Amino acid sequence: MSTAMRSALAAGLVLACSAGLFAQEEQRDWKIFGEKVYTATGDVIENGTVAVAGGKIRGVTGGTRGGDGKNSLRAAAVTPGMVDLSVRVGAGTDSVEQSREVAPDMRTAESVDVFDVDWDVQARSGVTTALVCAPDFDVIGGLGVVVKTAGPSGVRARTVKADAVLRGAIGSQPSFRNHPAFGRPDDFFSRRPTTRMGVEWELRKAFYDAAAARGSDERAFPGSDELRSVLEGTRPLMLQTWTTQDIRTAIFFKEEMESEGLGHPRLILDAAAEAWKEPDLLARSGAAVVLPPYPLDGRTSDNSFMTLDSAKLVHDLGLPLALSAHGSGDPAARLDRQAGFAMRGGLSFEAALQAVTIAPARMVGVDDRVGSIEAGKDADLVLWSGTPFETSSRVIGVVIDGRLVLDPRPTE
Amino acid sequence: MISTTKMLTTGVLAAVLAAPAYPAPASDGGADTYAVRAARMLLADGREVEDAVLLVEGGKIRAAGRGVDVPAGVPVLEHDGVLTAGMIACHGYSGTRGETGDDTRSVLAEARIANALDLGHSDFANALAAGITTLVITPAPDNLAPGSTAVVKTAGGTILSSAAHLSLSFTDDALRANRYPTSYGGALAELDARLADPSGAFAEAVAGRLPVLFEVSSRDETQRAAEFATRHGLGGALHGARRAGEVLSAVQQSGLGVIVGPFDPGTPGRQLDSVVALGGARVPLAFGLDAPQEDGDALRLSAAMCVRDGLDPALAWQGLTSGGADIAGVGRRVGRLEAGLDADFVLWSGPPLDLTSSVVEVYVDGARVFGGVR
Repeated sequence: MSTAMRSALAAGLVLACSAGLFAQEEQRDWKIFGEKVYTATGDVIENGTVAVAGGKIRGVTGGTRGGDGKNSLRAAAVTPGMVDLSVRVGAGTDSVEQSREVAPDMRTAESVDVFDVDWDVQARSGVTTALVCAPDFDVIGGLGVVVKTAGPSGVRARTVKADAVLRGAIGSQPSFRNHPAFGRPDDFFSRRPTTRMGVEWELRKAFYDAAAARGSDERAFPGSDELRSVLEGTRPLMLQTWTTQDIRTAIFFKEEMESEGLGHPRLILDAAAEAWKEPDLLARSGAAVVLPPYPLDGRTSDNSFMTLDSAKLVHDLGLPLALSAHGSGDPAARLDRQAGFAMRGGLSFEAALQAVTIAPARMVGVDDRVGSIEAGKDADLVLWSGTPFETSSRVIGVVIDGRLVLDPRPTE
Repeated sequence: MISTTKMLTTGVLAAVLAAPAYPAPASDGGADTYAVRAARMLLADGREVEDAVLLVEGGKIRAAGRGVDVPAGVPVLEHDGVLTAGMIACHGYSGTRGETGDDTRSVLAEARIANALDLGHSDFANALAAGITTLVITPAPDNLAPGSTAVVKTAGGTILSSAAHLSLSFTDDALRANRYPTSYGGALAELDARLADPSGAFAEAVAGRLPVLFEVSSRDETQRAAEFATRHGLGGALHGARRAGEVLSAVQQSGLGVIVGPFDPGTPGRQLDSVVALGGARVPLAFGLDAPQEDGDALRLSAAMCVRDGLDPALAWQGLTSGGADIAGVGRRVGRLEAGLDADFVLWSGPPLDLTSSVVEVYVDGARVFGGVR
């Protein structure tokens, strides 16, 4: 075979391969029929067909029969793609800057690995949008990024919203590696904080320093702008708070910033397992709450205890509520199961559906794109074999930006 | 243990003192001007010329090709095989004796591995025997900016370049839990800052005078490095990007070349597919060796495996010679059989990408340094 022939063949092969990949991705127009279409923000539409074109939802029509053409998909139920604000995929220890305890300028968008195979697990289980933050080894770890769980192979193409939240952590985790320096410090873990008191002090100090740096180049430091964006209320502050004392720390911090006239932080309390313990305090704060996966024995991280009715209680307080798998790889901890557990604890189906779709989308400001089935929104849809969140139901199809990630049609 | 080490060290020292510091030209009274007539000559662009002549004068190539006039009285060596330029391995640790970086700090951009090399290391003779006449020696990617790379000949102790690339590591090897930075975000922030107000090697890189060797591993690291190069307008090459072909658009946009390999029969097929995709997109390619971990013959094996997987043989051969030399920044010295370039060439028993062929003789700067009767 001549050289020219071989290179032509090789080029052809590459073209054919990429054409094959794109052929699958190009199919982005669908008629998706559900015996029930749960929109999350409006009515449940019986025998609805969701029209999808160019990766967007064009509308939903009720009273249809559904087709069986090439572009037709069908399922017992259709819901919006689920949104998980506490996914621990694609951002390992290499994404957290541990040389500083306060690193608000670090962007998870620069660290996230969209090629991590666990993304596929998320996408195929119905989670279509996720907030990714670095692991909570710092008091303030940096800026989280909202991404789609499947799609083009590049973080920028997958990003729904970069720098969506400023992420911090209260509790034992940010301090567990640190130790006091006796004599000469021998590594950079010879430092504060080593206790919860040290953690809360670092948190408040960072914001006081940032407030003091307002309008002053001399006092500015890396991340002071990002900290001030929280005080100004333009970016939520998402804090990991497992236990009730950590929730108190977060709420007292917010109230102190307000009473000192420094600003109005919008709090998202993540992994708030003990949110049920002090309902009056929680209600007073107006904080949004993200619950960790329900532990079958009640015990969660940091010696905290979570009750089965936690979700109902937070919802009944009128607070924004989201459920999460908190990065657990356990199939029983997946997001659709969490909605089921919350319902077992008394939460209504509609509230549970919102807690895994539109509510988390609103918390991080991506509800203009995702979280409900409405014309103009991204075509992120989950197809179910039966009533969503029932133990006997499963996710049979997933569409993200109009691309078929999990095909519900039986294989021939 | 200590005494064994001492004994070994003493033994090595004695050997070094007794032998020349590096593989020396054969002292067989070779003429200053001579010609080699080969049954076939393989050029850098992959073209094959039959019954070709290479005319060497004063260690340089004076002419190469078919129908070259050989002046009267000039000795002519006959070779009934293939004559090619010497190969270049674009990545390796030969002669470093494992000291490939200084872990006490993450940015040591001004350090030069060329100044810390043992050019008498047996690795160079090993490379020479495999037909490799030029090596790029690289600091290990354990630091964010571990230093600059060196380009050396495998015989004669010639250092072609003591600052060929600024090496920048985008791998997680450079991220340590006990040293700044510990994260990709921190690493990018540090490098962005160094390039925003550049000095020293960073300034040379920004000005386009010093190419950058981007050390990467996974696809996200590859994409991050390629986007970084695009953002800062940096030229150079990626190394370690095992699946660069799967993030082709970012690589193409950056204009960076890719140093691939070494591959062995256990290499997953998708790594080879990646090289085929890069070749199909005409991304500049070169081959790395990672010697001393890999034997010199692994270079040719790597290229042959890519060809078997579908890479255009001409592109593979370019990668082993001229393309590699260009990526190493020494394309006007070595890597091509062209007048004016160094007379570094190899006489093969047959086509070099045919693994049943063997190296018969190797010449560097016109002197025979491997094979033949001494």
